[in-house]
Amino acid sequence: MVYLELFWSFVKIGFTSFGGLSMIPLINHEMVSHGWMTLEEVADIVAIAEMTPGPLGLNCATFAGMQVAGLPGSLVTVFGVLSPTLTVCLAAAMAFEKFKNSRLLANLLTGIRPMCMGMIASVILSQALSNYTEAGSLVWPAVLIGVVGLVLLARFKLSVPKLILLSAALGLVLVR
Amino acid sequence: MTQKERWKKALWLYLYFAKVGCYTFGGGWSIIAQMQKDFVAKRGWTTDEELLDKISVGRSVPGTMISNVTLLFGYSQAGVPGAILSVLGIITAPVIILSILTFCYGQFRDNVYVARALVGVRAAVVPIMLVSMKSMVKTAFPYKLCYGVTLLGFVLCTFTGLSNALVVVLGGLCGLAIMRAVDAAKAGKEG
Repeated sequence: MVYLELFWSFVKIGFTSFGGLSMIPLINHEMVSHGWMTLEEVADIVAIAEMTPGPLGLNCATFAGMQVAGLPGSLVTVFGVLSPTLTVCLAAAMAFEKFKNSRLLANLLTGIRPMCMGMIASVILSQALSNYTEAGSLVWPAVLIGVVGLVLLARFKLSVPKLILLSAALGLVLVR
Repeated sequence: MTQKERWKKALWLYLYFAKVGCYTFGGGWSIIAQMQKDFVAKRGWTTDEELLDKISVGRSVPGTMISNVTLLFGYSQAGVPGAILSVLGIITAPVIILSILTFCYGQFRDNVYVARALVGVRAAVVPIMLVSMKSMVKTAFPYKLCYGVTLLGFVLCTFTGLSNALVVVLGGLCGLAIMRAVDAAKAGKEG
């Protein structure tokens, strides 16, 4: 029963990874050990998943499901990879709303909020490194697009979707 | 909220997230920025603090960060229907796009124009994150010690492989310590 196996594989992938590139070794293992894909095909999936909108894990799941068992396959893998969100995270959401007004939670959050800002700052740094540099040197068109984006967002309150479309257009013109 | 109103809002959330789902780049941070703009600044449905809380929870439980944050937000707005429909919304566009691409991904992957446009899109992720972070800064720091916690978080996430869940737990402990110090200072003043 390939659907069940696909589902179970992506449940495992969903639960043991915390988003982003951390799930790639696991996807590799699941795909190759079942004989569903070769290593090169998995590398292709990752490339495509990064080029299209959507979180990496979800995109990989859709793509792998489609490749192995068509549209039903992709539905199965998508719900597999979403299973932690729909169970653990939903439970967390319920608990959070319930204890929203508790003093203990408020005190905990006084530290969690700034900690989260530090986490975001770290993500910004790693994004900046991977998006503006290549092999140790700056990619000038990317830097320019970044600066233009910052001005448009901060000064002219451009919306995020519009900025993304504009940046794609600028990329087409400026990148060689 | 009556059951009918709840479903109505859940449906609205589905359509909203289906629309913004087309712009999920940079690990979903562009969506967070857009949510902040639409729900904090424009509609006042939530606050910067609450959004930050959802990011903390969303990153510390298993699953993709953005689908977790979307679910948490949907739940806070319209209960279980809101939670589920919001997640279904955010995945709609990516799933459709990827399903279609399976048939022609070779051409897509090797297309030089796609690659160029993507350099541009990726370059936009950092300014998007910076601007949304700037407005969160105003609310995340009621006490001076909080800046120290941010620095700690940055250092831990950048230079150690500590898991997000552990970092968040550590943040909670810092919070307890800060509040204890603040309460002690208050008591000292009064007494």
